Amino acid sequence: VKRWSTHWLVVFFALILAAIPYFFPISGKAQEASWENLVTGKILDRQAQPVQSATVSISEGKESQVLAESTSQPDGSYELELPEAIPANLFLHVHHAHFKDSTLALDAQMLEDLRNGHPVVMPKLVIYRQINLAFWASTLIFIIMLVLIATGKLHNALSALTAATLLLAFSYLGHPISENFYIFDFNNAMRYVDWNVIFLIMGMMIVIAVVERTGLFQWLAFNAYRISGGRIWLLLLILMIITGVTSAFLDNVTTMLLVTPISVQIALALGINPLVLLIPEVLASNIVGISTLIGTPTNILIGSYAKISFNAFLTNLTPGVLLALVGLIVYCEWIFHKELKLKHEQGISSTLLERLEQRAQISEPDHLKKSGWVGAGMLVLFIFGEKIHLVPAVTALIGATVLLLWIKPDIEEMIESVDWTTLVFFISLFIVVGAIQEVGLISFIADGISRIVGDHLVLAMLAIIWLSALLSTAIPNIPFTAAMLPVIGYLTATIPGAESKVLFFCLSIGSAMGGNGSLIGASANMVTAGIAERAGYPITYLYFLKKGFPALLITVGLATIWVLIHFL
Amino acid sequence: MSGIICAIRGGPHSQPTIRKAISLAKETRLLLHFLYVVNLEFLSRTASSRVQVIQEEMQQMGEFILLAAQSTASAEGVNADGLVRHGKVRDEVIRICHEIGADYLVLGRPRVEREDTLFTDELLAQFVKRTEAETGAKVVLSEEETT
Repeated sequence: VKRWSTHWLVVFFALILAAIPYFFPISGKAQEASWENLVTGKILDRQAQPVQSATVSISEGKESQVLAESTSQPDGSYELELPEAIPANLFLHVHHAHFKDSTLALDAQMLEDLRNGHPVVMPKLVIYRQINLAFWASTLIFIIMLVLIATGKLHNALSALTAATLLLAFSYLGHPISENFYIFDFNNAMRYVDWNVIFLIMGMMIVIAVVERTGLFQWLAFNAYRISGGRIWLLLLILMIITGVTSAFLDNVTTMLLVTPISVQIALALGINPLVLLIPEVLASNIVGISTLIGTPTNILIGSYAKISFNAFLTNLTPGVLLALVGLIVYCEWIFHKELKLKHEQGISSTLLERLEQRAQISEPDHLKKSGWVGAGMLVLFIFGEKIHLVPAVTALIGATVLLLWIKPDIEEMIESVDWTTLVFFISLFIVVGAIQEVGLISFIADGISRIVGDHLVLAMLAIIWLSALLSTAIPNIPFTAAMLPVIGYLTATIPGAESKVLFFCLSIGSAMGGNGSLIGASANMVTAGIAERAGYPITYLYFLKKGFPALLITVGLATIWVLIHFL
Repeated sequence: MSGIICAIRGGPHSQPTIRKAISLAKETRLLLHFLYVVNLEFLSRTASSRVQVIQEEMQQMGEFILLAAQSTASAEGVNADGLVRHGKVRDEVIRICHEIGADYLVLGRPRVEREDTLFTDELLAQFVKRTEAETGAKVVLSEEETT
């Protein structure tokens, strides 16, 4: 295990080191600004998104010598400084590996302005995608990665890392042969990596690593039993709420890793089937996790991409999530009503309960107290930090560092607790999604959805929620969400009324709640099933489908009602 | 040292195996050792880095499952202890047989023939042969089908 995590640690730092030149480039000689003979403009794609890295040049004729050349910036803008002597005709050429070449003639007025020493602003130039070998290669590699992750044939992180490496290798090795092979260069690939997401996840992992060793979750679960007084329906209700609330602040996999073993023990002590507790818990975990920015990786992705704050998630999603949770509780109490009717005296074991009570102690009260203070401080920063433009990643890093300095744990042990494989997975995933964005696959998908939904916001909301919910039952929701972000960004920019970012909230609901539809829909489901199987209670794909899919329909339905009422 | 090793996973399908081991212990008057092996290979594709976090929890869950089996044995008048090991089930079973010089090893039959089941019929037959040859312990399979 140690060797494995060290392995990923090396890969992670290699990627960060390689990215440094991109973020801290060696600056060249500063150019003096000159407004004379300057031609500026903006290049956009069909979805009105800026096109970066296009080569823009000006020449006297279509085949003549180039008079000035420049590259478009991230906002699609370019500047060309022409020589003093302005010829009779000028043509602006735009070239990009993934777009059709485009040429625009400067009109007489523009030429006159240039001759008089005035700068010229060209009209926005829309260029059109072209499908080439790089497009097919990127699409194929992306699909293979999804299949590998969905089928579990290869570890998530290894699948994404292999895909990212293949894309870069294809681009670098193929480019000298033909431009058709070019996807992007390394600097462009790094541009797609969202470091806010990486550092937010890393910071939260350190905080979680401290909290998870305190025995808090075991203590909470056991006290749920005590409060319930042996009434299993009440125990189930409390455990669902505890799991849900925990999932809003910790990732779902960690929550279920900690809650599942103790739930199995409580169920065995009570003489009931542990799945009566585990299935509702994991369903609640997948649902309530989306009520905060940090509750699910998909929300972290969405929040960072769409600049949605912690507060915005709380105010826009939490009421809908609570509504869905109520629906889920009613559903679970109904489907397990036979088991829940059992009186606790029927199967309770005093020996097992005594053992359970001995174990359900806070093991590190001092660490728990300190992490409680730090957690509260982080919550305040998450909520009020947006007023001073404090990004969530910085809050997470502040919290993690303060906690480490305060409790002074074994730092190597803490660093090993960071899930480096997940961070490598995210970095690689960003590169892979960047590639399909670069070659135009995302644009084609956005175009297709746009044609179907047109300008209808409600139709778009329904399509995104339900499509992402149903797809998330079969496709891993993290890569799916990462790929959908630019699509949703385009729809948000083009559909009237979508400025509230409602479509991003729809994606959050669909992709997370959709995980309840099947056993492979969410990592938390797989982890829960793995532990349950090791306790002698296997959860089959069909069993989960029977319990989980109706839960998906109910909870996504209720959440849909909420977003429609709240945003329209 | 000698005795009976009974490898269990927990759950309803382990009950016939537990009952078989208890009746064998009554018959032979040998010490009964229930064994639970913590195997976290299932995390390798979803949460491999969380193995350390979950290890202690799984150990406790294993001890709990063993305690339940020990309670059953105690109710039948048989004293039994519980052993938790970490690793691959087959390897750990053989190792523990060596360690305590087991006379008998009680195992459950696989309920379903599955690719990833550790003890499919074919594998079980090989395992029985190998264990008996390597450890000298007689392998007893519970008659009812279990996982």
